[in-house]
Amino acid sequence: MVTTVSNQEKQREWSWYRELLAVLIRRNLKRRYRGSLLGIYWSLLNPMAMTGLYTAIFGAAFAQYYDNSALNYILAAFTGLVVINFFSSSTAQALPSVVENGGIVNKIRLPLFIFPLSTIGANVFQLLMGAFPLLAIVTLIISKNVINVAALILPIFGLILVCAGVGMLMSALYVFFRDLSYFYELVTFILWMGSPIFYPPDIVPDTVSRFLVLNPILPIIESIRQITLSGNLPDLILIGHSLISGAIVLTIGIVAFSSWRSQFMDLL
Amino acid sequence: MMEESIRLDGVSLWRRTQEEFSYDLKRTILSFLEGKYRHPAKKIVLDNIDLTIEKGEKIGIIGANGSGKSTLLKLISGILTPTSGTVRVRGKVAPLIELSAGFDHELAVKDNIILYGVMLGYSQEEMKAKAKLILKFAELEDYALVPVKGLSSGMTARLGFAIATDTKPDILILDEVLSVGDVTFKNKCSQRMEEFWQDRVTVLLVSHSMELIRKNCHKAIWLEQGQIKMIGESNNVVDEYLRRVKPTELTSESAVESAIT
Repeated sequence: MVTTVSNQEKQREWSWYRELLAVLIRRNLKRRYRGSLLGIYWSLLNPMAMTGLYTAIFGAAFAQYYDNSALNYILAAFTGLVVINFFSSSTAQALPSVVENGGIVNKIRLPLFIFPLSTIGANVFQLLMGAFPLLAIVTLIISKNVINVAALILPIFGLILVCAGVGMLMSALYVFFRDLSYFYELVTFILWMGSPIFYPPDIVPDTVSRFLVLNPILPIIESIRQITLSGNLPDLILIGHSLISGAIVLTIGIVAFSSWRSQFMDLL
Repeated sequence: MMEESIRLDGVSLWRRTQEEFSYDLKRTILSFLEGKYRHPAKKIVLDNIDLTIEKGEKIGIIGANGSGKSTLLKLISGILTPTSGTVRVRGKVAPLIELSAGFDHELAVKDNIILYGVMLGYSQEEMKAKAKLILKFAELEDYALVPVKGLSSGMTARLGFAIATDTKPDILILDEVLSVGDVTFKNKCSQRMEEFWQDRVTVLLVSHSMELIRKNCHKAIWLEQGQIKMIGESNNVVDEYLRRVKPTELTSESAVESAIT
């Protein structure tokens, strides 16, 4: 135990965290884009190219599941890819974040959780500037309803919570296991295949789809698709599922991180 | 009246010995399956330390390598938490460390100033206001927007010193060697260190240079194997220490010396 803190000090501590988060997110973005903010749109290249590829290969075969419309397939693939891309790149970057800053945290007292969160934060900024406006436009065109556009924020918030939780968990585990990246690649690949991104959910056999419920990304993809592509008003149950999924994963991440936290400094 | 600045009550710290740890998920799982998994060994680094330091005291910490000097400083700066016992610290602690190694080389000098300032506990606004003075002290006004990788090593060191010392801490922690720049800059450094010494700043100085400790500290703590072997007037402690320790173990960290004296 180090020092008993008064309320005022606690407040100062929180505003320090906020400042740190802001500064580290900015560092992250600056390092990535080196002054050209157009670089953010570069991040759209991946989901767009993948959408094109999937459509070329699977579009015709799966069209019957999407009302025989190639456009519907394209949009479904694109929404799914935006989500899974955000998940895999933000968490993969969060994974080494604590270890990478091992030098500085041995010299200055810093809250360690700030490092995974700031990498997720930089990716959120990128999402809000890049893919989110596109999703919003598609939503507006299909649903012709501003409520749907506004509701889009909610499952994306759920997604951010999931990524923050997984990011904290992985960055904590990486302190102990430096070969974790290889295993984590496998995990993201399983999630990728286990999410109905380029295939329709209907083709998965019942015995298998029972396990897919464990995929925290699944309710988020479903909710975003429902809001963006169905043309109906937002389904509150799907939104609820994605927020609950986010809350659960984040809780796991926070609990794991804080209970292993005391061992970190011996290994950094 | 004396005011308490730092207080340690029955502080012990156990740390894992890093060499034993595999850092490897594959091997850990395999050793589990083979039933060979062992809990990582821990060893005691600080053993039941009681210590009170008053505000404004200048304390030197001496002892052999691995006696727990740096660990003690890390506990006081809040980087490490004790396994048992309590650490109470009043006021803002500033580590005076060599920052240059930790700079983000891709980022501009000014961004690095703000980044480090916020890490040391200042707000972005405060740091934007301070940046000018820091750049001036480091003689790098023309380099504010240049990435740190574009600076010479001397410039980088100057920048690190300027940021680290541009603080008004209550407790100053001096561990690593601060060897900075050419002769004129060294004079500036000495002046700054002098200011810290004049102030009512509590200073903790780890050094192998006994001269440095004698000259600058009222009090000295001698650590041996994680315990306080002796504490008292610095001349007495240093004399006793020199009597007991083989001369080969003494190395001088003259760079700190020249930065301070």
